[in-house]
Amino acid sequence: MNTVRTQPDPGNAIMRFLKKRIAVYALLIAISIAVFFLFPYDLGFLTRIIIMMIFVLSLDLILGFAGVATLGHAALYGTGAYMAGLFAVHISASPIVGLGVGALSGAVIAFISALILMRAHGLTLLMLTIAIAEVLKEIANKAQTLTGGADGLSGIVMAPIFGQIEFDFVGQTGYWYSFALLMIVLFFLHIITDSPFGLGLRGIKQSTARMRAIGAPVYWRLVAAYTVSGAIAGIAGALSAQITELVSLNVYDFSLSAEIVIMLILGGAGRLYGALLGTAVFLIVHHTAASVDPFNWLFIIGGLVLGVIFFLPGGLLSFPKKLGWVTTWFSKQPEETPR
Amino acid sequence: MSIIFNILIDGISYGMILFMIAVGLSVTMGLMKVINLAHGGFALLGGAFTHWLTVQAELSFLPAVAIAILGVVIIAILMEFSLFRRIYEFGELEQVLATIGIAFLIIASVNYWLGSTLLAIKFPEYLSGSINLGFRTLPVHRVFVILIGIVVVVALYILIERTRFGVNLRAAVDNRDMAASLGIDTARIYAITFGLGAGLAAFGGILGAELLPIEAYYPLRYMVLFLIVVAVGGMGSILGSFLAAISLGILDTAARYLMPDFSTIIFFSAMMLIFIIRPHGLLGKS
Amino acid sequence: MKKTIRTIGLALTLTAGLTGGAVADTIKVGVIAPFSGPFAIWGKQFQEAIKVYVAQHGNKAGEHTVEFIYKDSGGPKPDVAKSLAQELLIKDRVDYLAGFTFTPNALAVAPLINKAKKPAIIFNAATSMITTKSDYFARTGFTLWQVSVPMANWAWDQGIKTVVTAVSDYAPGRDAQNAFKVAFEKKGGKVIDAMQMALSTADFAPFMQQIKDKSPDAVFGFLPVGPPTFAFVKAYNENGLKDAGIKFLGTGETDETGLQALGDGAIGLTTAYHYSATHDSALNKEFTAKVSEMFPGSVTNLASVGAYDGTHLIYKMIEAAGADGAKAMEIAKGLAWESPRGPVSIDVTTRHITQNVYIRRVEKNDAGVLINKEFETVEAVPDLGLAK
Repeated sequence: MNTVRTQPDPGNAIMRFLKKRIAVYALLIAISIAVFFLFPYDLGFLTRIIIMMIFVLSLDLILGFAGVATLGHAALYGTGAYMAGLFAVHISASPIVGLGVGALSGAVIAFISALILMRAHGLTLLMLTIAIAEVLKEIANKAQTLTGGADGLSGIVMAPIFGQIEFDFVGQTGYWYSFALLMIVLFFLHIITDSPFGLGLRGIKQSTARMRAIGAPVYWRLVAAYTVSGAIAGIAGALSAQITELVSLNVYDFSLSAEIVIMLILGGAGRLYGALLGTAVFLIVHHTAASVDPFNWLFIIGGLVLGVIFFLPGGLLSFPKKLGWVTTWFSKQPEETPR
Repeated sequence: MSIIFNILIDGISYGMILFMIAVGLSVTMGLMKVINLAHGGFALLGGAFTHWLTVQAELSFLPAVAIAILGVVIIAILMEFSLFRRIYEFGELEQVLATIGIAFLIIASVNYWLGSTLLAIKFPEYLSGSINLGFRTLPVHRVFVILIGIVVVVALYILIERTRFGVNLRAAVDNRDMAASLGIDTARIYAITFGLGAGLAAFGGILGAELLPIEAYYPLRYMVLFLIVVAVGGMGSILGSFLAAISLGILDTAARYLMPDFSTIIFFSAMMLIFIIRPHGLLGKS
Repeated sequence: MKKTIRTIGLALTLTAGLTGGAVADTIKVGVIAPFSGPFAIWGKQFQEAIKVYVAQHGNKAGEHTVEFIYKDSGGPKPDVAKSLAQELLIKDRVDYLAGFTFTPNALAVAPLINKAKKPAIIFNAATSMITTKSDYFARTGFTLWQVSVPMANWAWDQGIKTVVTAVSDYAPGRDAQNAFKVAFEKKGGKVIDAMQMALSTADFAPFMQQIKDKSPDAVFGFLPVGPPTFAFVKAYNENGLKDAGIKFLGTGETDETGLQALGDGAIGLTTAYHYSATHDSALNKEFTAKVSEMFPGSVTNLASVGAYDGTHLIYKMIEAAGADGAKAMEIAKGLAWESPRGPVSIDVTTRHITQNVYIRRVEKNDAGVLINKEFETVEAVPDLGLAK
């Protein structure tokens, strides 16, 4: 293995990357196939989980890796959704091109807002992200002739993918289409986060000052990361618009922005699999709790959030490690001195 | 000319209500530096208790308010002992999550207890009706809130800047270990301040209920509004929150008089502009 | 691989269709509504009304047993509503969908019911054009045009010549505003100003001051039920509009679930609406009595009566057509019955409910409870929004 390091060879680098990831990708594909056959009637819900996973992955890049806190990520998702929806209604029903439109518009709005956002910190940053999403929501509400306002943008009918595969009633096409996109996004994010750029982001998260000291262009790196995140969020929004065949103002909701942060922290921020796990757990718990006792499911979500924050600070992904922690905690307990 | 007077009068009275509903947050988040999204939860509890006491138990207004605030303070101090004490040590995001989780639990509890309809508070006869200012009228209730707001801001200013407690609190927030080594009981100071913040939250929730009515989802519905007031004012500054509330009140009111169609966009754009010019808020320190 | 999956899927859909079509069996109705979040009251009202209908009429429609399955859509979330509808149609194999509080949620299921040929009965979502998006939609709620136009006409007949409209700045608000303006100006009245107020507005004093300065004969308002309506009505009273003789005209602002919270200031507010909990008929008394017997503390409102009549309609459809969606829709068209709100029928072309609209005033009854007292009736009003 050492020879690889001393002699950088692109072929070997790809091999190394695949070796490292191939098992996980195979596992994810296996899970998706298993889930497809085990829950053939729940594809609509499963597709919704996959779309949210893509959205939460986009958040993980900016929040988990670069450490930029945001409560307005819906601004990027919503713009992708509306633009892809409008594109489908007025220009072309091609799903693939529509995704491109979603990605591009998400990236553009992210780039513009990043120019302001990436100079801010802490609470100011949080408030600015909220404000941008709120302004966009109000614009969508105002432009009723274009967007349908609170009634929603309807009339989206998607053409078959590549002109071949039609979207079906049961949602099989939607499921595999979204899953394929999830894998592409995941693969792409793995490359980015493993790259020097990704390492630079982690560096910024740990210490902005140190990164500045070694001469890294912190601001522009963050702008670039936010733009990439915006493109991915835009893809998620576009997917949602195509699968739902309707876009409404809720794509810009503050509660959506807040929920995906919960999902990410729940799973474990800064790890891509944490984003996947957190999204799946949150939505499945929500779905189950809501069908058992819809009036009181907030108790369960509130309890879950507090439980994870207090007992699994690294998110659900750190749970296996924490099992060891519990035993040490009990044995250590009497010696601990109060702070 | 009269439109300027109208904007000032309505703006200041709305700003005072904004200040009252956000001042509790200014204490817990601004002074204690904990991102406290559960603030609205304490306001909701205050409002829900007062609703229950005035409407269901038919108690009169003032004793009901006193009992409600006391109840919230007790709950808050219990929570401080059990939860918040650990939340102080968390990172920013974990604080967001933990306090939103607490807000969820409060919402779920009130929803379970009183349902999801509006929980009206019965205000006494002497607070309803209007005062005639000559060229227009002003609801008595608003005059009352304006007076209370002034009392609260002055009292808090004296408490924090002029008393021993305030000095100790500022020392504890600046450097907890140092303050502790000087013999300040920081745990006690934190608990009292947190209780004060929650009590003010409850008081604000009750006083603001004519504009922002109490219902189970109150903490989430107005979360952004509370945060805006404190953030625009600047962390750590009660006076900043006061200034922010009044300016935002006047700004929002002016937009509603002059360009009502774009009031939301104007409001948020103005907020963004303030942050671009003053990244730490009006009176915030970096 | 892809082909096999496709075939399996097809087979599943087919079996779903076949089992659903058998006779003398259980027919399931999937109800999609918000049961959690700030709009949970809608789901609660729907569910109580359905349970009351079932308690009164049994769970048999003709020879079929009827079963209800409830799904929580949260708020206006079309993506959630659509995936729930998919789940209901494919997994739970329902033959009817029902509920729908918000327009986007109803619109999102249109492609599904078109493909599955299953009827969806809308209990509330009130934008006129929804029923044009699928032949399988029918609605037992109301539309904003249906209630706003009678309000405008009545106002003119009372000698009101000038009005300021003040509505929440979103699609339903604009709908109500247009309806009122068109009808009122047709009569010869004048809308002096049409104000749109941001949904997030908490302080309505500035709007009230402006209305007062324009001194119209009346103000027509439309806001979503809940905090905005509450603050709006409070501001109307506190800012002296009532004393200045400016009448309040509205529609659903005095909804029964929030009416007591408005307090005595609400007395005298005039609204035009299709249902009041105190509608004077034997059927309504039976309905409201049963609701308070089964669910102490609950009141009936537009959501209750929408769901109650929707359930009645579904029973009639099941009785005559079983699981055959297309046939069921033919049964629904033109069906007329006596509802707790008065006589109603389903319009043949719009598939929307034709009903009386009542002019009501808020009064305090002998028990000290605020009620919507109906005092005038505009008979058999269809949806007026599609012909505009």
